[in-house]
Amino acid sequence: MEAVTGWWDDYFWGSVVVLQVFVASLILMVLFGLIGAAAKLSHNRIAQKIAAGYTVVFRGTPEILVLLLLYFGSAETLTAITKLFNPETKFVDIPPFWAGTLAIGLIVGSYATETFRGAFLGVKPGSVEAARALGMSNLQTFIYVRIPEMWRLALPSFGNHMLSLIKDTALISIIGLNETFFVSKQAIASTGKPFTMYIVVGCIYLTFSTVITLAVMGMEKYGNKHMETAR
Amino acid sequence: MIFDFELVADSIPKMLMGIGMTFQLLFLSAFLGLILAILLLLMRISGKWYLSWPAQVHIYIFRGTPILVQIFIIYYGLPQFEFIRDSIFWPILREPFGCAILALTLNTGAYVSEILRGGVLGVDRGVLEAGAALGLSARQKFIYLTVPIAARLSLPAYSNDFISLMKATALASTITLVDMMGIARTIVSQTFAPYEIFISLAIVYMILTWIIQKTFGRIEKYLSRYVKPEGLA
Amino acid sequence: MTTPTPEILIQMKSVNKYFGNFQALKDINLEVKKGEKIVVCGPSGSGKSTMIRCINRLEEHTDGHIVIDGNELTDKVKDINAIRREVGMVFQSFNLFPHMTILKNLMLAQRLVRKTSKAEAREIAMHFLERVKIPEQADKYPVQLSGGQQQRVAIARALCMKPEIILFDEPTSALDPEMINEVLEVMTDLAKEGMTMICVTHEMGFARSVADRVIFMDAGEIVEEAEPEDFFLNPKNERTQKFLSQILTH
Repeated sequence: MEAVTGWWDDYFWGSVVVLQVFVASLILMVLFGLIGAAAKLSHNRIAQKIAAGYTVVFRGTPEILVLLLLYFGSAETLTAITKLFNPETKFVDIPPFWAGTLAIGLIVGSYATETFRGAFLGVKPGSVEAARALGMSNLQTFIYVRIPEMWRLALPSFGNHMLSLIKDTALISIIGLNETFFVSKQAIASTGKPFTMYIVVGCIYLTFSTVITLAVMGMEKYGNKHMETAR
Repeated sequence: MIFDFELVADSIPKMLMGIGMTFQLLFLSAFLGLILAILLLLMRISGKWYLSWPAQVHIYIFRGTPILVQIFIIYYGLPQFEFIRDSIFWPILREPFGCAILALTLNTGAYVSEILRGGVLGVDRGVLEAGAALGLSARQKFIYLTVPIAARLSLPAYSNDFISLMKATALASTITLVDMMGIARTIVSQTFAPYEIFISLAIVYMILTWIIQKTFGRIEKYLSRYVKPEGLA
Repeated sequence: MTTPTPEILIQMKSVNKYFGNFQALKDINLEVKKGEKIVVCGPSGSGKSTMIRCINRLEEHTDGHIVIDGNELTDKVKDINAIRREVGMVFQSFNLFPHMTILKNLMLAQRLVRKTSKAEAREIAMHFLERVKIPEQADKYPVQLSGGQQQRVAIARALCMKPEIILFDEPTSALDPEMINEVLEVMTDLAKEGMTMICVTHEMGFARSVADRVIFMDAGEIVEEAEPEDFFLNPKNERTQKFLSQILTH
């Protein structure tokens, strides 16, 4: 374990990067998920087809492939464009942070599409009808009846998506993102202790996933308060 | 920037040469993983803490950490220990294939055992009570009632995990295994044509996914022939 | 000429049942003789289902004694299984095995518990399927049958084990009105043939015509016990009167 001393700093900053990717990709995932779900639920045939294509593509392709495609593809394009202006250009890329965030946001977003869609459909029509019968507007019904119930239904799967997001961050180290996994490779080169270093990474990710799981459990409990029946 | 179709036509056969490795990784770990999952499930529902706990710990660790890290720990990390290098398992653990199978198996075993547990919990309590009222033993109830019903309930989630497993096999390329992904990366590094190569490979994976989904769909349909239209018996 | 005393099949002595702090059964004392038909009625939560579920150990009584056909009901698996062989149960939600055909539903317990041969089990199954008047459904799955048919299959399934007693836990409560009669008919035939029955139900017409005794339960206690005539025309206890007035007005 002494091998790890001296690297705690780097691991710490690597963890910060993981969190940053998590937050950024979470936002993207929710965005893509909501747009995708809305498209699938709409009556617009074209929107439905595009959303269907979106889910098929990103659920059927390995994450690492999407990541490499996005990163190297965009780098290739950017380099080519920049070469037109400056023939000396060797390699231009989008920062791995953004390539990675976009990639996992898109991927997990495609799963989120199904989750949000299912949650929307899961709201009992009876509740919506009752709200309308009471005179609530469409917007009010949406905010006060639909959304709370959707959130409660989507929560377990949403929690799983968040876990996927944080674990997929490790993949981004492959394109050079300076998060914990990347740090460990450097640490290994220096200390010659691969097992130790990778275990540290494992523990860091385990901690993150535990926190997320506990947070989701807490939210589920809160969201299901009204479901507890009297004895 | 024109799309180099010639390159695609040239590369696809090359990438498909890796499909054998992809399938080996997929089916072997799926099979071993299922066995592990059943074992973990039985340990989980045994009611005995010394069986239930280790199973839960395993599931917790393997679902809570990235599979890439798991692969690296097994392939790069284990050789750090002399007792590993001296053990009878070394011939397996020395090879990237053995390590990949081990990692994938341990990983999918954890996920599938939770899926099976969900299936077991989903069995209608009333059906089990009827079995008890008729005098069936706990073992008989499990074999004749729980297992068939839980298997059917687990199928949709299991098919999703099977697809995830297939996608995870692509990670084997990071420890030098020559599967489709590995070949693709080699070609890209030589030709600098990420779009053509990766997009065509993506299409191959999507086709495989589609085939898997259709197959499981058929199985689900057959097993659900006695189910009410809403979907739950 | 001495009439042989009918044997006492079920004896419940000072039975109490707690769910945590909540007392579901309070000092239950009950004797059921062979061939008797008992109807148990009462408001929701009165403990009627709990009481009969204690008889075949689907619930465990906290204290007191339950003796069935001479066997005391204890924790021992052997005792429990011995009792479950003699006591059949019909559930409110039928609880047929969804993944098996009707025939298999009727044969499974025979083969596993009584170790009957396949051929004999099938014969017995078809016999009782005919008794409940739906032999043509043998190869169908439960989901393909109506509620009334499913419940009749459930009764046949219990009968295949040739039990001494059958417990009915609100057998018609989950049925559409037009199907209630077909099930009550089967139960009435069963009663006429001498089966010992304890039936938790709201069907008062059935109680009047079939029961030897009607028991009223409320808040975990047996409040009143009488023959149907006395029970319905002269309820003695105030709570019984209140209950009857509530359910018999419509």
